[in-house]
Amino acid sequence: MNILRIARKEIIQSLRETRTFIFMLAFPIVLMLILGTALSNTFTTSLVFEDLKLAYKIENADAPVSGYWTEFARSLEQNGVALSLLSANEDGKEKVKDGEYAAYAEIKPDGVEFFGSTKQTVESDILQGLVASFANRYSLAAAASRTEPESLAPLLAKAGSGDYVNETSLQADRAPGSMDYYAMAMSTMIAFYACMSASMLIRGERLRNTALRLSAAPISKGELFAGKVVGSTVVNFIFVVAVVAFSKWVFGADWGDHYGAILIVLFTEVLLAVSVGIGASYLFKGEGASAAVMTFTQIASFVGGAYFPIGDIKGAIGALANLSPLRWANEALTKIIYSNDVQALWPAVLLNVLFAIVFLTLSILFMRRKEAL
Amino acid sequence: MNVLSIRNVTKTFGDFAAVDNMNLSVREGEIFGFLGANGAGKSTTIHMVSSLLKATRGDIEVLGKNIAKHPKFAKSNIGIVPQDIAIYEQLTAYENVEFFAGLYGLRGSRLKERTEEALEFVGLGDKAKSLPKSFSGGMKRRLNIACAIAHRPKLIIMDEPTVGIDPHSRNYILQSVLKLNQMGCTIIYTSHYMEEVEEICTRIAIVDHGKVIAEGTKEQLKSIVTDTKEIWIGVRSERNIDVELLQKVPGVISARIEEGLIKLQSKAEVTNLNEIIQLLIQANADIRSVEEQAPNLESVFLTLTGRNLRD
Repeated sequence: MNILRIARKEIIQSLRETRTFIFMLAFPIVLMLILGTALSNTFTTSLVFEDLKLAYKIENADAPVSGYWTEFARSLEQNGVALSLLSANEDGKEKVKDGEYAAYAEIKPDGVEFFGSTKQTVESDILQGLVASFANRYSLAAAASRTEPESLAPLLAKAGSGDYVNETSLQADRAPGSMDYYAMAMSTMIAFYACMSASMLIRGERLRNTALRLSAAPISKGELFAGKVVGSTVVNFIFVVAVVAFSKWVFGADWGDHYGAILIVLFTEVLLAVSVGIGASYLFKGEGASAAVMTFTQIASFVGGAYFPIGDIKGAIGALANLSPLRWANEALTKIIYSNDVQALWPAVLLNVLFAIVFLTLSILFMRRKEAL
Repeated sequence: MNVLSIRNVTKTFGDFAAVDNMNLSVREGEIFGFLGANGAGKSTTIHMVSSLLKATRGDIEVLGKNIAKHPKFAKSNIGIVPQDIAIYEQLTAYENVEFFAGLYGLRGSRLKERTEEALEFVGLGDKAKSLPKSFSGGMKRRLNIACAIAHRPKLIIMDEPTVGIDPHSRNYILQSVLKLNQMGCTIIYTSHYMEEVEEICTRIAIVDHGKVIAEGTKEQLKSIVTDTKEIWIGVRSERNIDVELLQKVPGVISARIEEGLIKLQSKAEVTNLNEIIQLLIQANADIRSVEEQAPNLESVFLTLTGRNLRD
């Protein structure tokens, strides 16, 4: 009963603390908005062009290649390329230089000459690929007609089919957009920020002189400790859930379908953070605890991918990154949300609980040795 | 019956003995004054009685039971009013009292009743739903008391409960102490204000260097200093007065200046007033009054410890 009473007090105290609200709610939401908006291009895998403009000239309209080109041009137009046939007195290269077209092609009886723009490189590269594909197919058809004329018909029949390029994506079906990523990253970061307030759980009682009253009350140190851990974990988890809910309903972040698994990962991360915070308050004296926790949190956030996505890093930084609880949590959440791999929660949950037990045990040992609170 | 018995208690921090073989008894129904200068061992003793610290040696009994063997019993019967205000700023006055009273095992309607009663007792009944940040220093001190009494302890330890508050609140608190005592509570009261201790305490102990150096009623303590006299000389100008010179006058034990008043303690049998006045005239002090004071606790303290309580 005393444990619940102390836990309730912790929850009420935190919920009425304006600074806690700003730090645990406003800060991650604002950061999510800023980073999610500013770095949105980093997460986009497609490019959108208004027009792909290709100018061309046909040197000899009676040559076989011009017939195939006409078929090809029709197919390109169907796929959104704007083709312009230039007259004999127009200079296609100059028009590309002026930026009027992304590329210019001259269709000659012996092949195709292509001129790409250095200003619109992406558009030019795409058109070059398409034109090269046409040229290869025409060369193949021409060679076939010389040696085996009967095979020419099926090749040419495909000339206007449009399947010049077969695209196979190596990426998963779903990938996070910037807001999705930062919703997840900020939630795991703020879950770990619980260690900062937790580092003040016992010290705060000493600073506001209530430690004397608590020590004088007929409750055990164990009850007090348990009440504080429960209260702090619950209230910080409430903040994390609020951040998740806000990101989902206000920013439209994608949290997938497995909310149970996501909340379990976040809850155990909060528990770990609270344990680390309390542990630090016993391992380091006075202000040292807050400084140590702040430093560790910032490093863990940075290498854990809170501010930008972290890939596979080698060397010392990579080893450091693997020690970040945020990295465990982010990896687990990514798999749960984007690969529907619910089992991915276990490594993160087990690591969180294991380290929480270690830090809580250390704190209990230190607390028992200490005469006062 | 003794509510509190301290027997041969020592508390050391490294080589330093903050409390040195202390013996003390507080009887049921007393308002027991516990006096000592800073560092005398007063707070350490209070912390040991309230179980914040453990005695290195010796026994402490509350209502006849050893606190080391029966900590819950002892703690349940003690209410502590710490020197520094110990409340939660984010909880309302009601929630503060309810939280601490709840830790003493009060539940449900009894908890509600006692919480309201404690707030009414300290005059904060109408402020139950307010947060302490809107309170004056005096109101916070009263809430500090309410948090200690809601569980109706038999022994209340009040450590400097009137520090830094206005005269109205101080008077309210002193009246509350007397009322609590009439209701059957035994009170241990520490203060730097001698007049408060003289006004409300029935028995007093003076602590110095971790030991009780004198114990008794006000009258008993004052009788210790019959061989000294206290002379107060009012002056208009204290600028040129040399206190060291006054202390060299034969018979003078101590001399100090407090807001236009020269307070001298002197041996009773020595006639030295003429010499003192001569020195003050030479210093152009412009004397306006000369009084010989009856012995008070301050002079007792000064005689026994050689220093002022506020030192």
